[in-house]
Amino acid sequence: MSMASMPASGLAVIQASDISEKNLSLSADVVVVGSGAGGAVTAYELARRGKKVIVLEAGPYVPSQQFTERFADSLETLYQDHGGQTNASGDLLVLQGACVGGSTVVNGCVCFRTPDFILKDWQQRFGLTDLTSDTLAPYFERVEKNLSIHDNAEYEIARHGQLIRAGANKLGWSVKPLRRNIRQCGLTGHCLSGCKSERKQSMLVTYLPWAAAHGARIYADTRVERVTTEQGRASGVQATVVAHDGTPVASMTVKASQVVVAAGAVQTPLLLQKSQIANRSGQVGKNFACHPSLYVPARYPEPVHAWRGALLGVYIDEFLSPEKGAFVIEDGGSGPVEMTMAAEPGTGKPFMDYMANAKYLAGLVTLIHDHNVGTIHWDGEQKKIDYQLADADFPSMQRALKAAARLHLASGAEEVYVPSSDRRVIRSEADIDPMVDSLENLPQHLRMVSYHPQGSCRMGSDPDTSVVNDKGESHDVPGLYVADASLLPTSIVVNPQVTVYALATRIAEHMAKA
Amino acid sequence: MKNNKHPALPGFMAGLEPLSRRGFLRATALTGAAFTAGCAHLMGRRDAPQAIQYRSLQPDEAEVLTRLTEVLLPTQSMGLPSSTQVVPTVQNIDAMAARMPDQTRDLLGLGIWVFDRRPMVSFKFSRFTSLSDDKALAYVNAMQDGPFFERGLMTTLKALVTLNYWRDERTWPGLEYSGPVSELWGIRRLGNAPLPRA
Repeated sequence: MSMASMPASGLAVIQASDISEKNLSLSADVVVVGSGAGGAVTAYELARRGKKVIVLEAGPYVPSQQFTERFADSLETLYQDHGGQTNASGDLLVLQGACVGGSTVVNGCVCFRTPDFILKDWQQRFGLTDLTSDTLAPYFERVEKNLSIHDNAEYEIARHGQLIRAGANKLGWSVKPLRRNIRQCGLTGHCLSGCKSERKQSMLVTYLPWAAAHGARIYADTRVERVTTEQGRASGVQATVVAHDGTPVASMTVKASQVVVAAGAVQTPLLLQKSQIANRSGQVGKNFACHPSLYVPARYPEPVHAWRGALLGVYIDEFLSPEKGAFVIEDGGSGPVEMTMAAEPGTGKPFMDYMANAKYLAGLVTLIHDHNVGTIHWDGEQKKIDYQLADADFPSMQRALKAAARLHLASGAEEVYVPSSDRRVIRSEADIDPMVDSLENLPQHLRMVSYHPQGSCRMGSDPDTSVVNDKGESHDVPGLYVADASLLPTSIVVNPQVTVYALATRIAEHMAKA
Repeated sequence: MKNNKHPALPGFMAGLEPLSRRGFLRATALTGAAFTAGCAHLMGRRDAPQAIQYRSLQPDEAEVLTRLTEVLLPTQSMGLPSSTQVVPTVQNIDAMAARMPDQTRDLLGLGIWVFDRRPMVSFKFSRFTSLSDDKALAYVNAMQDGPFFERGLMTTLKALVTLNYWRDERTWPGLEYSGPVSELWGIRRLGNAPLPRA
């Protein structure tokens, strides 16, 4: 292992433009579909153990130096469907990275271990008795070390975080620095457009180059069409290499006795459905949770410049436990383009006033523990994300929104903008209940975003009610593994990347022994 | 894995999604109502800016978006660069439209068409492009407070305009926004993280 060598920067990726053959036939021990959190970790963990690994990524390879730090451009180049992936009614944006490195390239670096009450729920309701805080601790520790995960130092808490922390202290609410996977943060605030200086420890600069150093081959622009089986066992995949203008370049067949599907909670079930495998339970694509969040902006009497400094600094865990509501609030930086879409301050002059005050705005991100009520499926040739915020979850969303408004006011905000499609401005404590209680759980009423889709191929001990076991292996198809956020049987309240890293590490360990 | 077969709507255009699905029938009803009013060919209209060549937008569409930009972004009063004379907001939308898959582009066109003709039902047979400043503003506000289809369409068109104004770096100094900074600040790239020790 110590003989592995790696370039100081960049990644050896085979792209559509590199391919001249019309048909490619490859073979490996393991083929990994997707290069994000789950795919990259399994690729490295298996490659370092001597397995011959091929990684197939549908998105393009965009080297860090090509990141523009312009959010509007980044949506088009780095995100799934050019930033346009939504639920069926179009009122919930589902943001996922669609490039080599996946969502880890464009996330906000926030890292949490899986809350203990979530693991206990999984043990009780899904028979995942081997997934405890103690048994997972070594996996968490490994990825935390590998990815330089640490509590934000004081210099990493920007002005908006400092204000929010003071407000939380005033309210007597528990507030903590966020943990992030970053080395020597450059404080640019451009996390969602990719980290140009390679300080964010995304898969692009960690597990993927490490996997390549151990011999893994990485293909970009390669869309897997089908997982193949032979005599009931996984036997590989069929794929199409597609040029950036959408033109098919080559057909690809990969033979491998182990197949890891880690294409994300939307694409993974679609691939399994298209392959018509692993769905004896009927649960593939079911139990989808969007983990919807709101960005709640507010105007402060002093300049905040929410685009300056680290994007995310502190969080309020006062309400994390189920008894207190099971939601968290994170302070969130934002650029002007994002601010234009966050709320409805009015049209014409009121909107211009809102934007003229952009430097006085600070935002809070709410994350709730939503129920797994969504479904991912094919609608003819198109994917469909059926998800509406459940009526049972709407009060939770309202509680989180009220807490965010209260926190803003305690932090000194003069106006809090409710992220709804109609104009709602909170100026005092007395405004909070009427403004929020009168919201309705209707399409297009709240401006929700899903950064953490999860749960569409849930794991569990019962083959009749789950898709894979606790080691990620299909109950139906030996040799087929799922290793992304679609595994999660319930939404986990907090940002899920570390949970995925840890589960993928554990899955790879079992695969190596299989 | 990426599903390239799905002609996706950019995120800020999510409100057009109903036009492609269950709301399509409703949109059809709305446009039908507009035609039933019998005045489509009688409506006064201003010429689209003659000097501008658009790659994707039709003159009618550019006219609607230009008028909407004027209503949404009265920049003169704020000392910001003009949203129609300095910042090429509508040309930016045009560039975006040119990159859209055909189905998405068609939906955008339908959305603009419906938006322009919707006031014929309640604004005395005037198209949006023919409304006075006050009435145009009142129409936008009415759409924003309307049922979910109207809210979604209005939210989408607003986002389309505002995003394509504030993405232009000439708007940033007025906000004290720095834009891209890594190169400006000379932030050194760290490269790949060292291989973990076994």
